[in-house]
Amino acid sequence: MPIEQISGCIACKACIESCPTDVIQLDKRTNKAVIAYPEDCQICHLCRLNCPVGAITISPDKTIPVMVSWR
Amino acid sequence: MQDNIELSRRQFIGVAGGVIGASALASIPLGAETIENPSDTQASDFTIENQHTDVLVIGGGMAGLFCAVKAHDAGAKVMLVSKGRVGSSGLTPFAKGIFCYDKATSEVSIDEFVAQVSESAIQTNNPVFTRQLALHSYDRVQELKQWGFFDSALCNTSFMRPINERNIPVSERIMITHLLKDKGRVVGASGFSLNEKKIIHFHSKSVVLCTGSGGFKPSGFPVCDLSHDGTIMAYKAGAKVTGKEWNDGHPGSAENSGSCYDNWRGQIEEKPGLTGVQVNHHLGVDSNYQAYTQGAPVTMGPGSAPNQAGTSNVTYPQGPYTPTAFRETDKPKPPPQESGILSMFRSKGHDGPPGMGGEQVGGSTAGMAIHKSEGLVPIDEAGLSTLPGLYAAGDALGSYMSGGIYTQIGSSLAGSAVQGAISGEAAAKASLALEIDAVSQASLEQIEHQILAPMLRKKGYSPAWVTQVLQGIMIPNFVLYVKKESLLSAAMAYISELRDHHVPMLMADDLHKLRLAHETENMIITAEMKLKASIMRKESRCSHYRLDYPDIDYENWQAWINIYQDQDGSMQFEKQAFDAWPNFA
Repeated sequence: MPIEQISGCIACKACIESCPTDVIQLDKRTNKAVIAYPEDCQICHLCRLNCPVGAITISPDKTIPVMVSWR
Repeated sequence: MQDNIELSRRQFIGVAGGVIGASALASIPLGAETIENPSDTQASDFTIENQHTDVLVIGGGMAGLFCAVKAHDAGAKVMLVSKGRVGSSGLTPFAKGIFCYDKATSEVSIDEFVAQVSESAIQTNNPVFTRQLALHSYDRVQELKQWGFFDSALCNTSFMRPINERNIPVSERIMITHLLKDKGRVVGASGFSLNEKKIIHFHSKSVVLCTGSGGFKPSGFPVCDLSHDGTIMAYKAGAKVTGKEWNDGHPGSAENSGSCYDNWRGQIEEKPGLTGVQVNHHLGVDSNYQAYTQGAPVTMGPGSAPNQAGTSNVTYPQGPYTPTAFRETDKPKPPPQESGILSMFRSKGHDGPPGMGGEQVGGSTAGMAIHKSEGLVPIDEAGLSTLPGLYAAGDALGSYMSGGIYTQIGSSLAGSAVQGAISGEAAAKASLALEIDAVSQASLEQIEHQILAPMLRKKGYSPAWVTQVLQGIMIPNFVLYVKKESLLSAAMAYISELRDHHVPMLMADDLHKLRLAHETENMIITAEMKLKASIMRKESRCSHYRLDYPDIDYENWQAWINIYQDQDGSMQFEKQAFDAWPNFA
């Protein structure tokens, strides 16, 4: 997968705001950034470069789930 | 907008079978009930907010930055709204070279520069905007230096400096979908928040679209957040748009082809640099032609001669034409300077421009035209559109600064800065002492309904699936890059189906997918524009290549193509001579 892991999030939201394709969301329950839509990640690394604590791991591989027409 | 249209089994096979193949259907339980939208969202869940300003700037890239700053400095009350974060969305964060024409040191005069661009662009450029780029790029670069743009690989901090100094309000993560009109004038825009269930109506005296270009969410180029939103909302509001037959033919790398970062070969982490005058004829479409005629892989770079001994028995035309002065078949021209992005290409680990190392693949920028060639048709050099009150700048303006071909490295970023500044000042001056009536509540409610429709729909199609079908139709090299009427028409038949049947059934169960639904509709309308403009232009020139009309037609095609919507909602096309400017629509 493209963006793989967020580990050590300090809830600053920098990754959420800097992601051009709205891949990352704030989990209001845990107050941590979570990877919500990895299939829309364009692997540009802006989230990783904007993260102040180096919490984000990204792979160059892009696989997207099979999509069917009514889902 | 239609709701709840049931899709019969026969209709489904007809739609899906052509794209994913009958074998894939074997595993799908035909006849099963469609799954209802799990969202239980009601329109009443959304709050409605109204904001008021003089100049509304839509887009937070290079054009939007300068537009907001200069509109403010010209005395207007300004608001900037962006789908993403200022300086961290669109193409701006990835463009690492900015053209700077320094008259004190340049070996080429502005007249010579404009003439070289026109020669490379085979007259498809608008010399007014080419000259404007050269005249103003130096001043914009000096301002960027002051703001710290060249001190960091990331733009947000330097972009926010002049905005914060002026207390310009910024609304981020807002997707604008509609322009507000009153008595023929554009008087604002509406959209929704990606953070919370909120619709916002921005009421203004002028609007400047700094919304960038767009693509079909292709692999390997960071254009997946851009879907021609500005162009399509302007088209729907009655503006003329242009440039849809041109192609940015940027190649991608076969290795890690879905990764923009890896395709960019480390440059995303580099600080920006300056580029000087070096006029080129960067085709890209020639690599696609080579792959089409001879098969992949293609290892040569843009500008190379495509017509080598092939494996096919079919005799093909020569292929995309490069003017003699710009051919690079023997060896590339040496870069004119050792600074900035040009030296970056040769630094350790960054041994080539984005996507141009190793084995190449096509389609990485599919759906995007040459920078500054597509977008709103200007009626003056300030980027005023054919609709009163509506301006555009940067990649949202069809200024033809370079024409139908990319002629100058770094001109994209510089052109956005220059055009943003000029349009912002013009919009501000036009807004002074102007009184605007309030938009009717009925109009606002109609827009609210259209914004929310995909979330309120109980059955329909996911934007992800419709986008995947769109990509399957448009991205093959025999449709978008090596064109002929039969395949363009065939693709149009599929796109008509998506437009008429699937767009009205796009479904979203959260705000992210609501964004995707609107983006998908914009891409489908763009696809129609691209196919029909490509059919109309019965010649080959610059980045538009027709296998059935492989030559330049100087007699009939010294013209751009303008696209507009007629009273019935149908898409119409007209020629506009290269040296002509239109009036208001």
